[in-house]
Amino acid sequence: MDLKERVCDELQKEVPKGASSTNFNTQHQQKWEDPSSTLDYSTRIEPPFQAFNQTCQTQSLLLCNNQIKVPMQDGSINDLLQQASKIQDWDPSAMLNNLSFLEQKIHQLQDLVYLIIAQKGQVLGRPDELLVQQQQLVTADLTSIIIQLISTAGSLLSSVKQTLSAATTSLGQCGEFGGVVFPSSAQRLNDGVQPQNAGGSKVSEPPNSIDITSNNGNEQNNHIVEEHELKDEEDAEEGENLLPGTYEILQLEKEEILAPHTHFCTICGKGFKRDANLRMHMRGHGDEYKTPGALAKPTKESSSEPTIIKRYSCPYAGCKRNKDHKKFQPLKTILCVKNHYKRTHCDKSYICSRCNTKKFSVIADLKTHEKHCGKDKWLCSCGTTFSRKDKLFGHITLFQGHTPAIPSDEIKVAPAGTSDGATNKVGSVNFNLSSYVSSESEVQSSSMDIKGGIDDAVGYFSPLSFDTCNFGGFHEFPRPPFDDSESSFAFLLSRSCNYSQKSGE
Amino acid sequence: MLSFQSSKNVLSLTEDLLVRIYELLAAESDRKSFRLVCREFRRIDTLTRRHLRVIRIEFLPILLRKYPRLQSLDLSACPHIDDGVVSLLLTRVGPGSNSPILGHWAWGLKSLVLSRATGLRFSGLEMLARACPCLESVDVSYCCGFGDREAAALSSAVGLRELNMDKCLQLTDVGLAKIAVGCSKLEKLSLKWCMEMTDLGIDLLCKKCVDLKYLDVSYLKVTNESLHSIASLLKLEVLGLMACPLIDDVGLQFIERGCPSLKVIDVSRCEGVSSSGLIFVVRGHRNLLELNAGYCLSELSTALLHQMKNLNHLEVIRIDGARISETSFQVISANCKSLVEIGLSKCLGVTNMGIMRLVSACINLRVLNLTCCHSITDAAISAIAYSCRSLVCLKVESCNMITEKGLCQLGSFCLLLEEIDLTDCCGVNDKGLEYLSRCSELSCLKLGLCTNISNKGLSYIGFNCLKIHELDLYRCTGIGDDGLEALSNGCKKLRKLNLSYCNEVSDRGLGYIGRLEELSDLEMRALHKITGVGLEAVAVGCKRLADLDMKHCEKVGDSGFWALAYYSKNLRQINLSYCGISDMALCMVMGNLSRLQEAKLVHLSNCTVEGVELALRACCVRIKKVKLFAPLRFMLSSEILEILHARGCIIRWD
Repeated sequence: MDLKERVCDELQKEVPKGASSTNFNTQHQQKWEDPSSTLDYSTRIEPPFQAFNQTCQTQSLLLCNNQIKVPMQDGSINDLLQQASKIQDWDPSAMLNNLSFLEQKIHQLQDLVYLIIAQKGQVLGRPDELLVQQQQLVTADLTSIIIQLISTAGSLLSSVKQTLSAATTSLGQCGEFGGVVFPSSAQRLNDGVQPQNAGGSKVSEPPNSIDITSNNGNEQNNHIVEEHELKDEEDAEEGENLLPGTYEILQLEKEEILAPHTHFCTICGKGFKRDANLRMHMRGHGDEYKTPGALAKPTKESSSEPTIIKRYSCPYAGCKRNKDHKKFQPLKTILCVKNHYKRTHCDKSYICSRCNTKKFSVIADLKTHEKHCGKDKWLCSCGTTFSRKDKLFGHITLFQGHTPAIPSDEIKVAPAGTSDGATNKVGSVNFNLSSYVSSESEVQSSSMDIKGGIDDAVGYFSPLSFDTCNFGGFHEFPRPPFDDSESSFAFLLSRSCNYSQKSGE
Repeated sequence: MLSFQSSKNVLSLTEDLLVRIYELLAAESDRKSFRLVCREFRRIDTLTRRHLRVIRIEFLPILLRKYPRLQSLDLSACPHIDDGVVSLLLTRVGPGSNSPILGHWAWGLKSLVLSRATGLRFSGLEMLARACPCLESVDVSYCCGFGDREAAALSSAVGLRELNMDKCLQLTDVGLAKIAVGCSKLEKLSLKWCMEMTDLGIDLLCKKCVDLKYLDVSYLKVTNESLHSIASLLKLEVLGLMACPLIDDVGLQFIERGCPSLKVIDVSRCEGVSSSGLIFVVRGHRNLLELNAGYCLSELSTALLHQMKNLNHLEVIRIDGARISETSFQVISANCKSLVEIGLSKCLGVTNMGIMRLVSACINLRVLNLTCCHSITDAAISAIAYSCRSLVCLKVESCNMITEKGLCQLGSFCLLLEEIDLTDCCGVNDKGLEYLSRCSELSCLKLGLCTNISNKGLSYIGFNCLKIHELDLYRCTGIGDDGLEALSNGCKKLRKLNLSYCNEVSDRGLGYIGRLEELSDLEMRALHKITGVGLEAVAVGCKRLADLDMKHCEKVGDSGFWALAYYSKNLRQINLSYCGISDMALCMVMGNLSRLQEAKLVHLSNCTVEGVELALRACCVRIKKVKLFAPLRFMLSSEILEILHARGCIIRWD
């Protein structure tokens, strides 16, 4: 039997014993320390974690959906870290502190999951709100664990990389197997909490070591959410038709909008972007912050009551998103406010490093652009680029005086190979017959170089051809410099001229 | 000096009177005579001359210096022009130029013809566009290298009204967009054969150049979308859609509702267009003047005919290749009374009765094309001649039943006739030509395959039709030297002559041909009697000769070709296939004829590979097109082939 299923079975057996967290702690501590189990964990459960990151970025699933799997990954990462630490120089005491902190957290989470499983059997007819609450709690916990874990791993970056790559190669062989197995165990764990687990099918995808080595998982997650919600904002605003007065209008101040953090710890003053992160942080300040009530998302507690829909106004006067505007269109979320304000009313400080022309005020926009930068080949004279020709033409139609730009690398060298040279050389030439001819010959000889016909050029410079062509008794047919017969084959011409002169007589 | 002594002398005329006289001279040759009279006359010529067509590029700097008031410059005959030449012309004009201002000649220039100037690239075009602030009309047709960069350069000529970009194969939507944005005053634009063009470009053009009156998108792969855009052009009068394979009746529905000023539409050879599409067009545009629907209708349907009743102003209709009934003619003649031209080439169902009904009311007909309407006879021709007294052009190729009776009627009534095509009309004989020669305005006469005519018939033409400038005697085996003598005595204006397979013609006949100083185009295939002497006479006499086809003239020896190489300086195209030319003569012909652009050189039995190679080397800087014997592909050095290719020369292997 697979280890994970065994673990799950054990967990289920243990559930009826009761929900005392201290008991569980001691029991499980022993289990973690079992060396064989850690090894198994490290090999088996690594891929789901990768999949988690990938699905998060690509599919923008709800975070909680995926994060529910994380407790199982933590063990693997920990073990990886332990392995890595054997190789590299590190501070063992600091690492130990971190790990024990993580361990504690994992156990707390386990307790919580047990609780959920236990409740599932008893309270079948309960409203979904409690489930949602619990789910959120688990989510918050997991987030904090990941952050902690990754920051711990950050100190061992290089060694982690090595071990990971070693681990992934071994994983490649049994990746599919692990992928098949995993969902069943996860399903059981989440049974009742989550109806489906979308991550399961993604498990067998090749792991991406970069995601893990990134030591700022928090920020990364934020981007994922921002990008996701960014699209939501655009989509939602089109269709929304709320009657004025049916919703509450909130207006944040400019400073609030531009502040890097919106949630601050009341004790130490540390700032966070997300409330969940703050709540995780708060638990370090004492046991009173560790209760499920304190960890639950505060806003949703009141969701049972009928709430007024909240919409946001932009603080910038005159803006269409400002509540004083005639055709006011409210913004849906705080994130929408932030992005809108930055995009519309702030300097575009992020410059694309590839093209050095496109500027953005929202970093996510820059990242989106960078994905496509360089692929736009349709360029307008104003500098705007388009990925499609019809878009460029639409733009040109719209703006007076704009024309499509022709990229300079498309310059085709004239087939003759002389035209450009001629333009350059000829510019300064006096229109004195002899001097022009020499310059023309220069041009010609330059073209001859390409052809490699040296003797022709020699004939060209010969005074004989010069005389016969231009002055030699052909007054009725003056041959001014433009005569193209004075080409590289003047020698032939001169002969034929001489000949025909004779025949003419 | 005489002018002071005798007040009756022509030189006593004042300058402005002389200018007026000069301006009345239409023909170029007359103007030439005028300026050769004396210095004063030449001065008038230089001051008054507005248009200049340059044949030899080497004279260009002198000519530009001489004629300071040029408005129109035609460089289509010197395709060697390139960026370097333009740069030179614009910096200093002529040796030791006195004019302190650079490129002075370009200031007043309004029209510029650069057709086939394949050497001209964007830098040269940009210089020209900047130097000519008044430029209104540019022709860059058949400049195969003309692409988007060139279009961008040209778009700096903001005053441009007319632009011909036929067969600019490199041009894409981007280039057209450049033109459309830069030259928004554009009124006339031709884009034939610009194969890269798509609906996007046309759409942008129609949005930016709203003043367009003339638009030709023939042969393009544009779809109905383009017609949708075009329909928004309020001033459009002429629309050319010839052979656009993707256009169909649905697109013409847009035209029905749009283009309120439309006068002329050409949908000939559009595979997708049927009579229902034409019904849309006709229904929407009652004031249509010209409808060209050749080879797109299988039948002139009654529904279309019904709509055509409303086209009271229609002047030109071409329905080549369609089936047409006698009653249709009745309807057309009853309603389209102002018809000037009707094209019924290869139409089925054209009968004497139909033609009679047509001309009974359409008495203003001037151009009538009845090519391959085999069933018409003298009766129809007589009816035409009797009714349409102002007939100018009649094409009755391969109408075998026409005899001298019909021609007699034409010669009696249609005295304005200028062009008649009697190719393959076996009924034409000497007597017929005698009647026809009464049409003294005749300028173009085609008698190919009329085997029943002889020297006698030709002599009538030579005596009476003095304005003739094109004569086709292809396979008129009855024609000999005497006929050519009569011709050369009378038809001094002859520019184009076809003597192919007139076996009787000998060196003496070519001697008479040599008297035709205006002759520029001579086709004399398979004249087995002629030798070098005859060719020499032609070369010496026909100074303007530009196109010579002497395939299968096997007896012509080197002396003739030497003469050709020496005298025929204006020769642009030559066909020497199956001729007995030697290596040396070939080298001289190819090397010495500095205007030569195209040569056909297959089956030269007396030439060696080295000779051909040397000849090609001698002309590689200027030759644009050459046809060679296929096995030579592997015998000629790769070097010369590369040079030719690099120079933009097209080689056809036969």
